[in-house]
Amino acid sequence: MLKPSSALLCALLTLSLAAQAPAGKAQVLPLGPTIPDDPAIQKVIDPLAAEIKASFDLPLVQAPQGLLRGRRGEENLLGYWVADVMRTAAQGTVGKPVRFGITNAGGLRSNLRPGLLKVADIFEMMPFENELVVVELTGAEVIQVVKEGIVRRGGEPCSGVKARVDGSPEQPVFVLTWEDGSAIDPAETVRVATTDYLYGGGDSIPTLRKGRKPFTTGITLRQMLLDQCAALAKAKQELLPPAPGRYTLPVPILEAIRDKKLKL
Amino acid sequence: MERRAFLASLGTAALASQVPLRAQEGPAAASGRITLLHTNDTHSRIEPFGPGNGAISGLGGVSRRATLVRQLRQQLGSVLLLDAGDTFQGTPYFNRYKGRLDYQLMRMMGYDAGTLGNHDFDNGVGMLVEAMEAMEQLQHANAPFAFLNCNFDCKGAPALQKWIRPYLVKDFPGVRVGITGIGVAFAGLVAPKNHEGITWRDPYESLKPVVKRLREVEKVDLVVVLSHLGYNLNGTGPDDLHLPGQVAGIDAVIGGHSHTFLETPTRVPQAQGETLVFQVGFGGVNLGRLDFAVARGQVRAASGAAMPVLA
Repeated sequence: MLKPSSALLCALLTLSLAAQAPAGKAQVLPLGPTIPDDPAIQKVIDPLAAEIKASFDLPLVQAPQGLLRGRRGEENLLGYWVADVMRTAAQGTVGKPVRFGITNAGGLRSNLRPGLLKVADIFEMMPFENELVVVELTGAEVIQVVKEGIVRRGGEPCSGVKARVDGSPEQPVFVLTWEDGSAIDPAETVRVATTDYLYGGGDSIPTLRKGRKPFTTGITLRQMLLDQCAALAKAKQELLPPAPGRYTLPVPILEAIRDKKLKL
Repeated sequence: MERRAFLASLGTAALASQVPLRAQEGPAAASGRITLLHTNDTHSRIEPFGPGNGAISGLGGVSRRATLVRQLRQQLGSVLLLDAGDTFQGTPYFNRYKGRLDYQLMRMMGYDAGTLGNHDFDNGVGMLVEAMEAMEQLQHANAPFAFLNCNFDCKGAPALQKWIRPYLVKDFPGVRVGITGIGVAFAGLVAPKNHEGITWRDPYESLKPVVKRLREVEKVDLVVVLSHLGYNLNGTGPDDLHLPGQVAGIDAVIGGHSHTFLETPTRVPQAQGETLVFQVGFGGVNLGRLDFAVARGQVRAASGAAMPVLA
């Protein structure tokens, strides 16, 4: 950005040059810090905005702390909530335990700021029409999925697993357990809640594509989140962030991930 | 954005349009000026950003952008209004109107051409085509705008193929402009079912014959690429910053995808002349402006600046 003094000079210079432009060519551009609305465009937008506002301004639930994605190196508590909701909804849909849930941080497009959440906040955070999919993976494949997420983005939001990376960036040691600290049996087959986007190969978690017996629920993630907010409000509860501690990544490992130097 | 900074952005961009030329004195086709106004990654941001959005709170909005474009068109005459993709996805307007509103408003604003970003495929090819059709069917004095791309092979998606053109040529007094477009790879960004029938090709290799045709057959004075590759991928994939070194003969790369806020275009030297690489954030917060002065087929002066769409 130009310094203020040069900015003013530049503006004056421009006005001066414009004044010298060939007669008949130059028209005055109203220079000013504000730009008025275009009446024709605004006439189209106004009724649609009212329609959007009527449905999207509906209050959902109080979230006194908000749910935040976290900055680089911080845990994505918003993502944890989404993954938890996915896993719970998947269990309700298939009627069987779902051991692991994973979504992608890139799909969460905004934070949920502290205060009263509205329908529009959920739409803005989760604008996509992605659906919940339940697949089967082995324990070994679950471990690989989590590792792929760590290497790519420092860990995609997940539910049901805790991960820690020890060792050095050159020789990382991945330590993964179920959320209660018990060991993951590599041979055990478990159900996994994810999205049709990730299962289809989105966001480069290739092992998720190995998922077997896919069950496409037809439920959008957004609808699940809206339903969860409504259920909390009905129970007179607040939406609170899940506890951190699902990913423990020391700074040198985070730096290696940032520099794309961490390898599996 | 302070008033002084806003004025400065106008002033910087206007410099090329003030360079004295002999255009008005000589033959009609000898020289002229053109201003490229552009957006990228508008992401269904119909209304300005509300409070709580930090530095961009209160900025943007389609209605104000329309006013700014109209004023500049009135002042400058030779203007192209262009977009670098990702028009869709981001606000409830997209969820409700499925992109039809976005494209219709773009036609109302007088866009000449746009390209496709990864998010424009978010609801699949069918919905994308429906939005294009809605734009064409709108009763409006402005002509429908063109969708430009030269690296998507759409043979397997004929409904979309008929909407996509590899390039567009526009004539202005003393300047003939060729515009093309390129898109980012689908892998990892677009679910396979949402780009069914469309194959992504290397953008550098796809551009070379198009730029050659624009220069040698269409005889354009200025080549503009609408890119949805991203500004700088640090060598992990094709991007805007490395494009000029890979494909000769491009005067301007109007970029998107990485939501990069540049205040002025980056000048990338070429063997002959330079390429201006520009991108103006996202959400319609800024309107980009590039001014070119052309004489006898050569760019004589070029400048640009991001113009904030202020409240």
